[in-house]
Amino acid sequence: MRKWIALAAACCMTVMSMTAFAQDKIELTVPLPLTGGQAKFGEIIKKSYDIALEEINAKGGVNGKLLVLNYEDSQGKPEIARSIAEKIIDVQKQPVLFAEYTSACAKAVAAVAEERKTPYLVIASAADEITQQNYKYVFRLNPTNAYYSEGLLGFMSDVVKPQSVAILYESSDFGTSGADEMAKACEAKGMKVLMKEKYEKGAVDFKPILSQVKAANPDVIFMVSYVMDAALLMRQIKELRIDAKLFAGGAAGFAIPEFIDNAKDASEYVVTATLWSPQVPFKGAKEFAEKYKAAHGNYPSYHGALAYSSLFVIADALSRTKAMTADDIRDALLATNMQTAFGDVKFESKNGYQNQNFAETLALQVIGGKHETIWPEKYASAKYVFPIPKWRERK
Amino acid sequence: MQTLVAGILLGGLYALIGIGMTLILGVMKIINLTHGQLMMVAMYIAFWMFELFHIDPYLSLFIAPPLLFALGVGLQKYLINPVLKVESILPHNQVILTVGIGLVLQNLATIFFTSDYRSTPVDYASSAWYLSDLWAGTPVEISLSLPWTVSFCLSVAITLLLWFFLAKTDTGKSIRATAQDKDAAMLMGVNVSRMQVITFGLGAALVACAGCLFLPIYYLFPALGSQFTLIAFVITILGGLGSTIGAILGGLILGVFESMTATYVGMGWAPVGRFAIFVAALVFLPGGVASLLKSKKLTK
Repeated sequence: MRKWIALAAACCMTVMSMTAFAQDKIELTVPLPLTGGQAKFGEIIKKSYDIALEEINAKGGVNGKLLVLNYEDSQGKPEIARSIAEKIIDVQKQPVLFAEYTSACAKAVAAVAEERKTPYLVIASAADEITQQNYKYVFRLNPTNAYYSEGLLGFMSDVVKPQSVAILYESSDFGTSGADEMAKACEAKGMKVLMKEKYEKGAVDFKPILSQVKAANPDVIFMVSYVMDAALLMRQIKELRIDAKLFAGGAAGFAIPEFIDNAKDASEYVVTATLWSPQVPFKGAKEFAEKYKAAHGNYPSYHGALAYSSLFVIADALSRTKAMTADDIRDALLATNMQTAFGDVKFESKNGYQNQNFAETLALQVIGGKHETIWPEKYASAKYVFPIPKWRERK
Repeated sequence: MQTLVAGILLGGLYALIGIGMTLILGVMKIINLTHGQLMMVAMYIAFWMFELFHIDPYLSLFIAPPLLFALGVGLQKYLINPVLKVESILPHNQVILTVGIGLVLQNLATIFFTSDYRSTPVDYASSAWYLSDLWAGTPVEISLSLPWTVSFCLSVAITLLLWFFLAKTDTGKSIRATAQDKDAAMLMGVNVSRMQVITFGLGAALVACAGCLFLPIYYLFPALGSQFTLIAFVITILGGLGSTIGAILGGLILGVFESMTATYVGMGWAPVGRFAIFVAALVFLPGGVASLLKSKKLTK
């Protein structure tokens, strides 16, 4: 009998010490695509979170509490992302959500978050409509698709001055909205959109569509693709010797180092829109880039910078919130005004967007097998190469 | 023109994928829905050969297919044969089994190799020959991609080898006999179960060849298999179940048809075209291309 009491007492003690311990940390669950086609990006984001997490906890965490992240794999599928979000809110009672990568997944999570009145910070999903639906609880750190190519467009209208453009895009949420916004922006600047063609992700052979592009002979070929399609496209453009004044990519696939690794010399001189580069002069940007490189062998893409900065935004909001409830955290997020490695972060509602962070975007060019920032010129790390040599004249 | 060239080159590779499945279907009446996953495994072998020992993917043709042959033999012997013997309420256990094997392979690949996209950055990946280099005043510019053309030629060579094997060697004849009539072949002294094992190995080896040929022009990730299983299945249906020549023609037709759809309708429509032709073949030409060939021969 005495043994039983002792055991029960021991149990009580453990439970009590566990709850006591739980008060000393804030555990947050993060949905990310860790397997499947988008896992590359999920992995970049996770690695960046871990770097940010370490720094935040080294500085005493959030108001003295240790921050802990648990990852859930959504496989890049909206239905799985949705059920993870439901679990996080309904079962785990977590008062704030963030992450996910593809626009389709972010849209699904945003819908759940709005329905359950839980703030959700989107970090790298670009489809415009996510913050255009009058959602009160959805915030977004990255500029939207419509603003992605601001930097690129600046370069185009100041330097390239093209008359016509052909747009190729993958038939996803991200690809479609990127292509639509680009077409709108080009027409507004008086360029003619000669073609706007979509393709199914994972296609083997782009030559049929590329021969059409060749026949149309546009000044600019603009492509919105994830990484492997981006490399295949440029390789096959080289094969067909399609000459244009400018080959331009809309972020994602064109802006990460793997693009150059896979497309090799076909990637030279390709210009891509991007949101961030390791060379930007924002406070902490360079340190983060170097830290990431030291740990994982190469520089992070803008996805990494967004993820890294987003955790600081979350930690900042959590340290200012009155209580750990959804509405208080939402108010704290609304009042955000801070400097991060991604630049100044402030959530505004304008131009039809709600709780959207508007940031300046850049253009990169592959020069000598490396991504260099070329636009806006105040951030440039190298002088742009223009006009680019024709394929025939390259060695 | 360029479209036609691209379509034929693609079709040649498709044909090689289709033949392996057709062979298995013809001899064993098994729909091998793990075909694309076997190709994925072969591609990973070729990829690692390149990464670790800098063996060109084309040289992996001597490495990956034998390994896949062994894997195919193992699968047939220890998984498929036992399942075929079991009496069960489902007559098509093997279909479920092959889907299951495919899923296992795909997930194993995800665990071991992560779901990263990979490609072998061979130096000649984007080299090409240009008509205008040889003939300056050419009215139409056509370019032939080096890796695509090499892959196509090798695919034709492998197909010829296979034909030679089936037509001339004893084992090949036994395989064909098994395909025609299992019981009769058994009465004639053919070791049918052995032939089935060999055939599955052969089918796996063929798709492994296709994998090696695809690697220089495409990229690689664990989920790639299902896409190619589907293509192989469409080709098999299109070609007429179990006919090797039908599969070759089916592959070419599909390749050209996809390229044409991509050019004249829109690239997003290529998969739609694939399934349109699949349904059309089922409805209007249930015997596939093979039945056309047969009827021509009969009337002669």
